[in-house]
Amino acid sequence: MSEAIAGFGLGLRTDHYGDFIAARQPVDWLEIISENYMVAGGKPLHFVEQIRRDYPMVMHGVSLSIGSLDALDPAYLGQLKALVERLEPAWVSDHLCWTGVAGVNLHDLLPLPYTAEALRHLTARVDQVQEFLRRRLVLENVSSYVSFTADEMSEWEFIGQLVARTDCQLLLDINNVYVSSINHGFDARTFIDAIPPAAVRQIHLAGHETHPDILIDTHDQPVCQAVWDLYAYALRRIGAVPTMIERDDNIPPLALLIGELACARELAERSLGQRELAR
Amino acid sequence: MNSLATIENGLQAAILVDASASDLLAGAAQRSARGLDVYRAAYRARLTAALRDNFPVLLRALGDDAFAALASAYIDAHPSRQRSIRWFGDSLVDDLSRTSEPLPHPALVDLARMDWAMRAAFDAADAPCLTRHELIALAPEEWPNRRYRLVPSLQMVDLEWRVEPVWHALNNDPGVATEAPQRLAHTLLVWRRKLDCLWRSADNREGAALRALADGATFAECCSLLAEDGDAAAVHSVVAVLGQWLDEGLLARD
Repeated sequence: MSEAIAGFGLGLRTDHYGDFIAARQPVDWLEIISENYMVAGGKPLHFVEQIRRDYPMVMHGVSLSIGSLDALDPAYLGQLKALVERLEPAWVSDHLCWTGVAGVNLHDLLPLPYTAEALRHLTARVDQVQEFLRRRLVLENVSSYVSFTADEMSEWEFIGQLVARTDCQLLLDINNVYVSSINHGFDARTFIDAIPPAAVRQIHLAGHETHPDILIDTHDQPVCQAVWDLYAYALRRIGAVPTMIERDDNIPPLALLIGELACARELAERSLGQRELAR
Repeated sequence: MNSLATIENGLQAAILVDASASDLLAGAAQRSARGLDVYRAAYRARLTAALRDNFPVLLRALGDDAFAALASAYIDAHPSRQRSIRWFGDSLVDDLSRTSEPLPHPALVDLARMDWAMRAAFDAADAPCLTRHELIALAPEEWPNRRYRLVPSLQMVDLEWRVEPVWHALNNDPGVATEAPQRLAHTLLVWRRKLDCLWRSADNREGAALRALADGATFAECCSLLAEDGDAAAVHSVVAVLGQWLDEGLLARD
């Protein structure tokens, strides 16, 4: 049942269950938040299984905590695997981050130091998860608001080395690259240029909140022009990659998100056309 | 150089208890402090939102400000250890019932109990319901020793106050004026039938009978709990109660 994923998708949100059940929507595939469906029963599983019959799906987690020093949670992994078997997603992603340590969960996507030690730790953990799930894990770069004095390399070097060591794949979040580039003062295109193109399995687009001194990744607004521009740049470098818009708060009617997704389609057609011309 | 352990423990302490992380963070002090504040604010906002989702009627009864104060104290006292934020707030009822600070009304604890039970029923395991039709085939001699399984979503919640009318009114209309509930020790039944979360009030006798079934009691043992003073009419009332449980979807197919 796990189909190939191509084109343009959306994150499935409860506000839009009715729209997806009532009529076929111009959305090529859907991404679900894994944890929302790692429950025993009731509405979440009922609706996701119904919608799954009509749309290819991918699963996106927020609680794997791949970078934490706490041991991976076998109960969590077991539930994740059970959901994978139930929904047969094309792939399973989570974030390149940690969410807490010493048994505490901060329920946030916290940044890792870019050190050789962290890389060794992550390599072993990614291997463990990939072996358990029997599939390549897809990891997303996160937005960050602090960096560490311990850093020994850039974020993009760190990601490149992790991919080389584990053969994991990447969920390139263009908004997160942009937010972090402004917050930490690097050129977002340098990040895009350094990412191994063949490893990029999926792209996220999203909106953020702009403050005078910082950008905050909020997923509550439309995609801004700077992120569209960076997306076009990424497409020219990486080529066609399944792309979706993430909206987690201030959720508009589905038609508005589908309109925003149409912008992504048009931009991709234009950008990849240019790429072909450049050849 | 700071190790991964130093960084993770240090950043977590900085977010949880405002500990200093200046020796961990790169960049200008003002800049890194601003970044740290984003994590601190997001942590509290996210957990407060989870409590608002899990206790929607308690929120309406208390109002935004009082609920925010309650949430803030709870977040300080109970750093989340849940893998899913969906379960954050699992100790709130216990905290409320033990608090030394007087609540605006003691029945608020029961409102919180009802909120939490309704939330738990929402995504409890599915199970097909036992029907009257399936019991018709039971031979008379099989009835006394027949055991019953409750649907997994069913919860028997002990309440001290008759809060259901207040819960119902506030759930339908956040701004509605409500009367203070009366003190009445009873059992609240909460369960899910197909996709709908349902509730009704029961007396403690019925609550005890359902708990006994959940613990593996036979129908005969259940009857003795339901029957008042062992009179003959009790058998009819027990059969009526069993019929109600079947119609309501409280009993699961074996």
